Amino acid sequence: MLDVEDLHAFYGPSHVVQGVSFSITRGEAVALVGRNGVGKTSTLKSLIGLETRTRGTIKLEGTPLTGMAAHVRASRGLGYVPEERAVFPQMTVEENIRIGALLHRTGDQRGVLDRAYSLFPILRERRLQMAGTLSGGQQKMLGLARGIALQPKLLMVDEPTEGLMPANVELITNALLTAIKEGMTVLVVDSSFDLLRQLCSRMYAMDRGLLIGTYRPGDFASPDDLAATMLGEARH
Amino acid sequence: MTWPRPCSGRRVTDLANQILLQLLNGLVVGSSLALVAAGLALLFGVLHLINFAQGDFFMLGGYAAWYVLGATHNYFLSVVVGTLIVGVFGGLLLTAIIWPLLRKSQVLILLATLGLSLILEQAATYFLGGDTKIVEPPLGPISLGPILYPAYDLIVVAAGMSVLVIGYFALQYTTYGIWLRAVAQNRMMAAALGVPVPRVYILALAVSSGLSALAGGLLLPLNSVNPTVGGSIILTAFIIVVAGGLGNFRGAAIVSILVGEVQALGSLVVKPSVLQVVLFGLVILLLIVRSRRQHLLVRL
Repeated sequence: MLDVEDLHAFYGPSHVVQGVSFSITRGEAVALVGRNGVGKTSTLKSLIGLETRTRGTIKLEGTPLTGMAAHVRASRGLGYVPEERAVFPQMTVEENIRIGALLHRTGDQRGVLDRAYSLFPILRERRLQMAGTLSGGQQKMLGLARGIALQPKLLMVDEPTEGLMPANVELITNALLTAIKEGMTVLVVDSSFDLLRQLCSRMYAMDRGLLIGTYRPGDFASPDDLAATMLGEARH
Repeated sequence: MTWPRPCSGRRVTDLANQILLQLLNGLVVGSSLALVAAGLALLFGVLHLINFAQGDFFMLGGYAAWYVLGATHNYFLSVVVGTLIVGVFGGLLLTAIIWPLLRKSQVLILLATLGLSLILEQAATYFLGGDTKIVEPPLGPISLGPILYPAYDLIVVAAGMSVLVIGYFALQYTTYGIWLRAVAQNRMMAAALGVPVPRVYILALAVSSGLSALAGGLLLPLNSVNPTVGGSIILTAFIIVVAGGLGNFRGAAIVSILVGEVQALGSLVVKPSVLQVVLFGLVILLLIVRSRRQHLLVRL
């Protein structure tokens, strides 16, 4: 599904992603894990085309995406839900979902809206409310609902549960689980042990812009174990 | 630039008629201003840039209408054709100049559009002549109850209002309108959702140029056209757009009409020069208050 080879990204003078290579097969849920600032978000942004200075090869279903603008990559089937600023604050909830639905390959706007609302029914109740007036958790739900409802070939989600209260974490986790069960391929960046264990079949660990190992959720017995392993690897 | 002349209204005999007359005059001035300001507001909203050449597309719209009128002898056709020509030309020209500078400093875009303004003004003087082109209004006065009023001025009001209403609904409900607002609020996220951002930019630049050109063409019988006509109108339009809220299409339209009405009705009680000072003094005050609340001037 996704093949990434020797991906580099630069932010100003910093070489933030230093030759990352990995692949994801269709229907798989994979995580990028590591400490803050090791290049996980930059990797996702490079894949969707929001990092301007990159090099390397990115292929989606064998089609090279390198050099394409972000909106072209999105139209080819890449979905992206960023950690912050995922919503358009001065547009209603429904308009936020429709922005992507207007491009939907099948032209099924009503279907996209219904899918988004079925994942998070609270959004249907608030469909005419400005997105900027939603709570932080509801804004996360809106960004994720839109990402899933557009049915991309590969959905990339950055820190979906960061800063959320447990009830909202559960809702977000369930929405992602539903998408994965329905066959969506997912690449997620998150540090929640429970979320990773429930969603992912594999985890790529990153440190200082490099991939430093591949793990399976069963490799870690506890959140502390996961954290210690990441930090331990980073020291090597 | 002189705004549409007040109607003398020979049959105006009492204060109520004078007020009606001035209300109509205010609508004419306001609608004209709104057309130019709406184009600027669109650019602020989508690109967050100040286009110093906006007034020159007003000037080019006037010239385009004048030349097409000479060929077709149909005034309304000339305004439409002139608007389309200048809209497409302006959209492509601005895209070619602004696109490479988008990720650079805003100052570069300011300077580039200022340079473009000077080039267009000098080119118009060289190729089109420095003289003033005058066109007679295509329609005579009509009776509105107790007063006579130029029918063409009412056409300008109707056209201006129609464009603003259509523009507002287009922004709210059409695909490109929704995309325009999305790009204005979060360009990166819009791109990540597949919104064709370059196409949205080109459209915004073309529509913005076209709105200025439409104003230039419509106001040709009221103001005439010369190479420097855009300079004065753009200053007023900038002030209106900032007072209406940067990037706020509806706010710019409302402030335009308010400015037109205050100018017209105020002229019944104070001299126009005094009114101008008071009006724009109030606008400056508004800007100071808003900048403290919303840091709007930082965005400038």
